[in-house]
Amino acid sequence: MRFDALSEMQIDALRETGSIGAGHAATALSQLVGHAVSIDVPTLEVLDVGEVPELFGGPETLVVGVHVRLLGDVGGSMLFLAERSSALALVDLMHARPVGTARAFSADEEALVTHVASILMSAYLAAVGRLADVSLLPARPSSTLDMAGAIVEAVTSDAALRADVALLLKTRFYDADTSVDAYLFFLPDPAGLGVLLGRLGVA
Amino acid sequence: MSEASALLRDLAQALDPTHLIVGVGEIACAREPEVLVTQALGSCVGVALWDPRLYIGGLAHVMLPAASCSAAAGKRHRFADLAIPDLVERMVDMGAGPRRIVAKLAGGASMFRGESGIDTIGDRNVAAVRYQLERAGVPIVVEETGGSHARTIELSTGTGILLVRSYTYGIHEI
Repeated sequence: MRFDALSEMQIDALRETGSIGAGHAATALSQLVGHAVSIDVPTLEVLDVGEVPELFGGPETLVVGVHVRLLGDVGGSMLFLAERSSALALVDLMHARPVGTARAFSADEEALVTHVASILMSAYLAAVGRLADVSLLPARPSSTLDMAGAIVEAVTSDAALRADVALLLKTRFYDADTSVDAYLFFLPDPAGLGVLLGRLGVA
Repeated sequence: MSEASALLRDLAQALDPTHLIVGVGEIACAREPEVLVTQALGSCVGVALWDPRLYIGGLAHVMLPAASCSAAAGKRHRFADLAIPDLVERMVDMGAGPRRIVAKLAGGASMFRGESGIDTIGDRNVAAVRYQLERAGVPIVVEETGGSHARTIELSTGTGILLVRSYTYGIHEI
């Protein structure tokens, strides 16, 4: 049972679900920061976990990662990744100030990005849960700033997770002045993926 | 190739040795003066083996403790219990003396702090690597494991020096 089994139509359904989740997350974030922030999901694709670091230019690229384990009917993980510069731009976007204002990724910046990623992931999981009629609950998020390869490998070597394929949702945060790209990876474990695909009519 | 140009080539090689990248879940061996590199070790463990007499080195990028950890298809050498015996065997095939081989370890971090689920896989990887090395009769001369940061390592087969690079602590030798 793999994501590869998904048809174009089901991929479209998941992308649409991603967009719905992103819409809800944008509403939540706008309320949180007190000004309008939009989010969309321009692309959704299935890719090998091993290719993920290449999205950032190689395994040693410095990225911010926010990880949550999935609880409920579908086990596995969700991972939010953004290049360091994008994470700093995201902080500026949330504060409605010019990009380049935040320079250091310290505890405050890390907490804000973790919070934003956590809202995005929760909204996405709620949308997928409604589409497939499954319960998908995020555990407490944890974050780090380090090499892309090491972050991806730590998540994929999680004993509970044996996924070799991930669903990638490219995610764009924007307002009138700024646009920031980040990546959201959905990695259900094989049993959870089976449940999910079954509910989506693939199994 | 003339003797002089062969000498020049060897000199160039010695000054700027080939860097062979060992991917996640892979093993590789090389002779002096080659350098074996593996990048971005998180919870994975880099196992650097070296024969100090013949200057033969070996490097593994171990991802999980044992083959029983995962039924999914993938690289054989991502498991400690397969990677280490195979790496020792390959070095011996190249002429290394099994009793001379020594090991240096790096990696086995907990990349995500404060989370109950995945913060022990690094520790379990280190424990599995130690166990497999003991079974193979290979002593560990030094290790830099644990913590919560990523590491890239380079084994110089000519000197046995293991270079450890991280964003957190910079570059140092072990």
